[in-house]
Amino acid sequence: MNHHISRRELIRILSAAGLGTAFATRTVADELDAKNPTPTGWDAVRKQIPVKPRDRHPASLVDGKVIQPERLLPVVAETDVLVVGGGPAGFAAAVAAARAGVKTTIVERYGHFGGLWTGGIVLVVISTHAKENGQKIKVLRGIGDELLQRHTKVSGAIINHEEGKHNPTTDPEATKFFMDEMIAESGANVLLHCWATDVVMDGNTIRGVVFESKSGRQAILAKVVVDATGDGDIFAAAGAEFEQRLHAIGMVHRLGNVDRADMNKLKAAGFKSLGSVEPLASVKWVNLRGPMADGLDVKELTRLEMEHRRSIWKRVQQLRNTPGGENIFLLQTAPQLGVRITRTLAGVRQLTYAESRAGKKFDDVIGVGGAQGANHVGWPIPYGALLPKKLDGLLAAGRCVCVDDKLIEDIRLIAPCLTTGHAAGAAAAVAAQSNCRPRDVEIAKVQKLLKEQGAYLG
Amino acid sequence: MLSGAKLRSLLRQIGRWLSLAVATALGLSPMMSVWFPSLSPYVALGGLLAVKTASAVTLVGVPVLVLAAIWPRWFCRYACPTGFLQELLSPRRAAAWRRWPPVGKWLLVITVGGAALGYPIFLWMDPLAIFNSFLNAWRKPVAIAAGLMLPGVVLFNFFLPHVWCQRICPLGALQELLALLRRHKRTPLPIPHQQRLARRAFIGMCAGAAGAAVVEKTVGRRVPPLRPPGALLGEAFTGVCVRCGNCGQVCPSHVIRQDWHSVTGFLAPVLRYEGDYCRENCHRCGQVCPSGAIARLPLAEKRQRLIGVAKVNLDICAMANGQECTACVRACPYEAIVMVESADGFSSQPRVVRGKCNGCGACEAVCPVWPKVAIRVYPTQRT
Repeated sequence: MNHHISRRELIRILSAAGLGTAFATRTVADELDAKNPTPTGWDAVRKQIPVKPRDRHPASLVDGKVIQPERLLPVVAETDVLVVGGGPAGFAAAVAAARAGVKTTIVERYGHFGGLWTGGIVLVVISTHAKENGQKIKVLRGIGDELLQRHTKVSGAIINHEEGKHNPTTDPEATKFFMDEMIAESGANVLLHCWATDVVMDGNTIRGVVFESKSGRQAILAKVVVDATGDGDIFAAAGAEFEQRLHAIGMVHRLGNVDRADMNKLKAAGFKSLGSVEPLASVKWVNLRGPMADGLDVKELTRLEMEHRRSIWKRVQQLRNTPGGENIFLLQTAPQLGVRITRTLAGVRQLTYAESRAGKKFDDVIGVGGAQGANHVGWPIPYGALLPKKLDGLLAAGRCVCVDDKLIEDIRLIAPCLTTGHAAGAAAAVAAQSNCRPRDVEIAKVQKLLKEQGAYLG
Repeated sequence: MLSGAKLRSLLRQIGRWLSLAVATALGLSPMMSVWFPSLSPYVALGGLLAVKTASAVTLVGVPVLVLAAIWPRWFCRYACPTGFLQELLSPRRAAAWRRWPPVGKWLLVITVGGAALGYPIFLWMDPLAIFNSFLNAWRKPVAIAAGLMLPGVVLFNFFLPHVWCQRICPLGALQELLALLRRHKRTPLPIPHQQRLARRAFIGMCAGAAGAAVVEKTVGRRVPPLRPPGALLGEAFTGVCVRCGNCGQVCPSHVIRQDWHSVTGFLAPVLRYEGDYCRENCHRCGQVCPSGAIARLPLAEKRQRLIGVAKVNLDICAMANGQECTACVRACPYEAIVMVESADGFSSQPRVVRGKCNGCGACEAVCPVWPKVAIRVYPTQRT
């Protein structure tokens, strides 16, 4: 075999290859240009859009005091029902109202729905069931239950949801996805990244909400506002009576690779369990109770955010330094601090712990709360607990509705929040349709709508 | 005109029907159920000797006792519903009850002897307690086993007429002894007869005391189960309790059940906190106890009376394992459960405050941990 190539041959081969390459490159580039007429590359990056002048209303210093001038706010929407807050309660309220056929808008301060469920990594939906006559029955029905049902369509999205179980746990990303899906299907108008800061009042009636976002300060006008902020920010701004409470503020974190930990070794070292189960076997979430604090004090929130993250970091490092725990890692600290309760509405009707345990019935029932361990009777929730004493045009939903200090421990759980949210959304829709104040709404109509939407009223 | 015998027979019929009606009416009205069985001087005597405290309920039996001394076995003839029911439900035929030994007198002296040491062994054989337990069994199926005593006695009488009343019933024996004493006062018994009686009484009482001592030294050493608030401590309770079922009947939360697992305490009341607890605003069980096994406590005192003490199993406690549970803390009517934070702030634990907790079981009844609850009331050690 002759492997020898002469110098001339080599030059010929090389020049042919070079020419070919250059030609080929040229051809591909031409094709790209033909398909995509807009310029790509640096041209696009540096492209400018017309500058929108920022609404400027700077505060000014007058005699050492900061004064904000009177200003005209752009109204970005006029809607029938405006839901403020996109946690479990706000989500259910928006879906309920939109499905009832009224124009609905939901405003959420973060970039996703679910509030503390997803952003706070609380994950476990407690109080879905109750015990009636010795039988375990599901009290979380309607929109909340539909949301949980959707999780079962995919793997790794929900556990403890099979027949006979209670208190399922969901994957937060799955919950965000299915919440987006249901909100989109309902036709509600959505505004994320909007932080409601004030209200638009007309005498004793709330007419709309002012919120801040990257687009500046704007307003939305509405026939009925549902306060699903959790903290009661809206009814407080509107001047409704409320109670304010302290509670432990914590922060959840998640551990990854827990399926690769040696539990026997860890137990020997004093780690009883790694945390609570999630649909994904490799992940667990860990609660942190935290100290009693005021969830409305930004200094406290700042301090706790940093303190909690520090103690979580310390704990996880400790875990990783313990034989058996080397593979575990800190997957995530919850983006949202675990504020359990702040304001609760002083409503037309305060639901008490004693009434709840006796299963007291109400004519104006709009939903039924469950038992944390499915071990006691369900507790009917009256419409009056969502209604402010005097303020008109607003319904409260979620943890800030009117209950006594012991029942707070139940009302603030995810399942009851879905229930009160559903009810507030349905009632708001009926009020908007009937052109009346929420307090004058015909309760039978609300109950009929709730039943049509699958809710359980006892 | 009615002859003397016919008049007495008529009076007797009227008296017994009336007594049956009154006993039934009282027994069926919850808070009145104490009064009929407390008419029995047997229960009063046994209870008084054992508990060594008298109450209004104890005194009810005194007139019956005094009358019995004057009028032999008047209660049997005119008032006892248990005896009357036996007679109604048995064939009329000649009976050979005289061949039977006087078991009732032995039961009586043994019980009195035991009562002196705090354990009236056969107090539960009182006919009025048996009647009441039957009424209570109808209305509360958990008491049905104790209620079977009355049908049992009636059935016994069906085959052996008059044997129960004449030879076994300790209340009948008590009345007979009293009558004997009265007769002796009038016409003294022969000395050998007296001696024989005294000897038998002594032997019976010693046997009773020995029985009580045996119970005390054996099962009495065990920690007893949870009893209703104000119950006598230790094994004394199972002796003084006549199993009438009144306490279980009036309990509004149905936590008073019957004990199936103990020999001495068979069918005596025990507490089970399954879904409910001993209510802070109730002291009914003590009010309806005819024998003093459960003390008649005023409400304020009952609330402070120790039933047991709650203990938390931190290994399975939801709160201690980082879950959002405060069920026991909220349910406690005496604010006896506090939350203690762990050093790192990651979790809290419920802690029971001794001295505040009276063992009412409100925490156990609400604990959502399943299948075994994480907080339970345990009997306290005997003091």
